[in-house]
Amino acid sequence: MNPEALVRPELDTGVPSGDLLLAFAAAIIGTDRKVLDSARTALADALGSAAVSGASAVAGNFSKNDRVANGIGIPVDDMVFNGTEDLREQLGLNDYKSAANTFRHLSGD
Amino acid sequence: MSFYADSDYPVRQDLADAHAAQFERFARAGTWGTAAQRLAVISEARQAGIDAGLLEAPADGGATSDVELPQPVRDVIRTLAVDCPNFDMSTYQAALDAGLSDPEFAEMVAIVSFIVNLDVYARGIGVELRPFAAPQPGNPSREIPVEAVLEQAFLPTIPNPPEGGALAKELYGPFKPYIMRALSIVPDEFRAHIELEQAQYVLLPKIMDFEYNHHEGLTRPQVEVVAGRVSAINDCFY
Repeated sequence: MNPEALVRPELDTGVPSGDLLLAFAAAIIGTDRKVLDSARTALADALGSAAVSGASAVAGNFSKNDRVANGIGIPVDDMVFNGTEDLREQLGLNDYKSAANTFRHLSGD
Repeated sequence: MSFYADSDYPVRQDLADAHAAQFERFARAGTWGTAAQRLAVISEARQAGIDAGLLEAPADGGATSDVELPQPVRDVIRTLAVDCPNFDMSTYQAALDAGLSDPEFAEMVAIVSFIVNLDVYARGIGVELRPFAAPQPGNPSREIPVEAVLEQAFLPTIPNPPEGGALAKELYGPFKPYIMRALSIVPDEFRAHIELEQAQYVLLPKIMDFEYNHHEGLTRPQVEVVAGRVSAINDCFY
């Protein structure tokens, strides 16, 4: 999988029907219901009707986890943080406001 | 009958059951909030999503609460519900300034995160948001685990074993990453978080098995595309 496509969805994910999954993920947490309805239909046509529930479940779950992480202010675990410097830089993750929950421990603030 | 019997798309029974159970939990007293308070919190979160155009108002939203939340608390709930990228330490501090304790705040974060999850799911499969059940009588237990200590989050959490003691072993097994432990100051919300995780993402014993497919029609890399894109849009560094 090409992780850069997660932040630059015009890129190829390297995953079958990745473009449809990216579009559905954005639409399900977006404001345009017609776009969501189209994305849902396209996903079902490509991957089968059960995939709609699966993709919705994953999108909901990570909507939950993102709020738990930012709400409780947890830092990234060391085992993930260490060794991902290049990836974080490539994806621009260090610019996220929530990065402060990790970096405040590194700077000794 | 399935909780999502009106869906045009098939829904796994265990997933539907987990969601039905969570809606029932909302209607019961929690560890820190009464059922009426919890209903007020999730109602505010859902309304924030409707106001922001992220959710469609259901024809039948179900029960309403007679609890009037203080405006600063409503603001914190709304930030978490619809402006997750900008939720930071100052938002947490605003909650404390409004009079919430750490475990009260953690329970609030939990149930706001859960209702956003459940509403996103319903919208995804194209059904109306599920109605809220009427709040049941009962008092919060207000039990705080003595094992919880301030690690690196805004508020105390139960550390992994051995530091977290017998309770950590019971809750976590040998180890859990921070995202799983984040709500552990309120163990009942931790358990609900894990239950939803296993129904909706992957069975945790299978989390490192990238050949295991938890969702019909989706490979694990396809699951990660959805997960990663949602978290990127939410600017979640974790």
